[in-house]
Amino acid sequence: MPLQKQQILNKGIESFDFQSGGEASSNLKNVLRKLGVSAKIVRKTAIITYELEMNVVIHSLGGEITAFISEDELEIRVDDEGPGIEDLDKAFTAGFSTASDEIREMGFGAGMGLVNVKRYADQIDVKSSSENGTHVKVIIKLAS
Amino acid sequence: MTKKHSVLLKEEKCEGCTNCVKGCPTKAIRVHQGKAWIKEDLCIDCAECIRACEYHAKYTKTDELKEIVKSNYPILLIPPSFYSQFNENISAQKIKKAILNLGFEAVFDVADAAAALSRKTLDFLNENSGSYISTSCPVIVRLIKLQFPDLIEMLIPLKSPVELIAERIERKFKEEKDIDADIFFLTPCPAKLTTVERAIGQEKSFLTGAIGVENIYKKIYNSLSDIEIDEEENELITLATIWGSEGGEQNILKSWQDINTLSVSGIREVKKLLNEIERNNIAESIKYFELTSCVEGCIGGVLNVINPFQAKFNLEQRLKKIKELSQSEKLDINKNDDDFYNFALPDEIIADNLSKLDDDFKKAMEKLEQLQKEIEILPGLDCAACGAPDCKTFAEDIVNGRANRSDCIFMLRQQLGEMADDLSNLANELPPVMGSKKEESDDS
Repeated sequence: MPLQKQQILNKGIESFDFQSGGEASSNLKNVLRKLGVSAKIVRKTAIITYELEMNVVIHSLGGEITAFISEDELEIRVDDEGPGIEDLDKAFTAGFSTASDEIREMGFGAGMGLVNVKRYADQIDVKSSSENGTHVKVIIKLAS
Repeated sequence: MTKKHSVLLKEEKCEGCTNCVKGCPTKAIRVHQGKAWIKEDLCIDCAECIRACEYHAKYTKTDELKEIVKSNYPILLIPPSFYSQFNENISAQKIKKAILNLGFEAVFDVADAAAALSRKTLDFLNENSGSYISTSCPVIVRLIKLQFPDLIEMLIPLKSPVELIAERIERKFKEEKDIDADIFFLTPCPAKLTTVERAIGQEKSFLTGAIGVENIYKKIYNSLSDIEIDEEENELITLATIWGSEGGEQNILKSWQDINTLSVSGIREVKKLLNEIERNNIAESIKYFELTSCVEGCIGGVLNVINPFQAKFNLEQRLKKIKELSQSEKLDINKNDDDFYNFALPDEIIADNLSKLDDDFKKAMEKLEQLQKEIEILPGLDCAACGAPDCKTFAEDIVNGRANRSDCIFMLRQQLGEMADDLSNLANELPPVMGSKKEESDDS
């Protein structure tokens, strides 16, 4: 019988917490290596998770990141408490960013976040509203 | 038996403290029965344990001079960093002559190959898109193989300067003089010594062996005053001698072309950088990373004698002198004898794949769950009293059957407490039959 998806990561992310930003990505990377997932997939996951994690840190009021794994795929969910993405189409446009000058000075906000996530993910689903915040679901296939 | 590593334990000196365990960047050391054992598969010969040990129980065993000079035709290769061990007024010739007097047939500067490699590297970077990492520091290559396998593709597929020059000299002596030379390296670090037995990206090393700087420094230093040389002679060493210290390689590249490079030294800092590269948090416009495990580069090697700060100054002073003597501010970008070097690494660099809990995914998942449970049970103090560097690593050792939970003194105390409670409960328990009889008699 195939394995049910099992949770391998659950971590809260606070708004503007640049100190811990990146920890979820590191933790997930370590877990995947322990499970023997191939180097290529680990790299993809590290990039995707880091982008999504930093989006929560930079743009949201806080949220959480959860990851599930089965033999064939990895599912990453990132849920935040708002304020939501105003224009989803624009958010997927290379170079578009709503980040402040301050954030840009820190080296973020190049407008490549979701673009990169889409590039590396096998599936991506984003739901966003000002009432319910942003909910991203990414699937990464494990068979390389 | 092939020895896998050059960093070893002097058992009688080890006090069983956990300084090295804590200081190891790959978590390769465990204290077991009072001694700090190195797990060979995880050791990358960075020598951090040698630096951390107050009791000098960790050491490097390099070849002995008296054995080396007995070989058929011994040749010694001098690394650029070696010149940092002397004041710039002691000329390179004098140093080389002192080495020859120890019983070598010839000496060569690795810096010559470093110069050629820099030229080749620039060509490579101009011809290939993407970003690359230098393969010159064997510790960094081993670190990437072990902990950052997805970055292997960034390693520039070119041999290190030592291997380049060793290969060239071996061939030269064979072809021109029909001599089978034995080529040794004067090494500032244990990692280069390990490469002799365990070459990276090539089947075997062109070196016969290596001797640590500390093994012959005193002999060389003491003989310097007796050596007469023609002071008029030029320094005759290349500006690529700058390779011995951090940023040397990138300085040469930048002297030729405006190229985006980054130089980082010290294994902890390098690990941080590789983490950032791994999650794409470093600009893609950086073409080349010069990374060295030792702080300040090879002059910071643990087998050197002079402290790295003085060594850095010495090397800078010597370079100033070379520039004056050669009347040139930068290294030649064109040199036609580079064709004699065989730059390409013949074999692929392969990941070590040691982090997985099990080959089977389902079993690995089960172990992961077990691991998370163990981590929750353990105190999380990372005291290392169990002999592992931290609770998470200890938990992994338990899951892999290499440690017992009771190796943790806190868990042991808890277990003992529970046992003591059980004992006392047991001792106070009255036999039920007698007790009830007694009660009856009391009532009556």
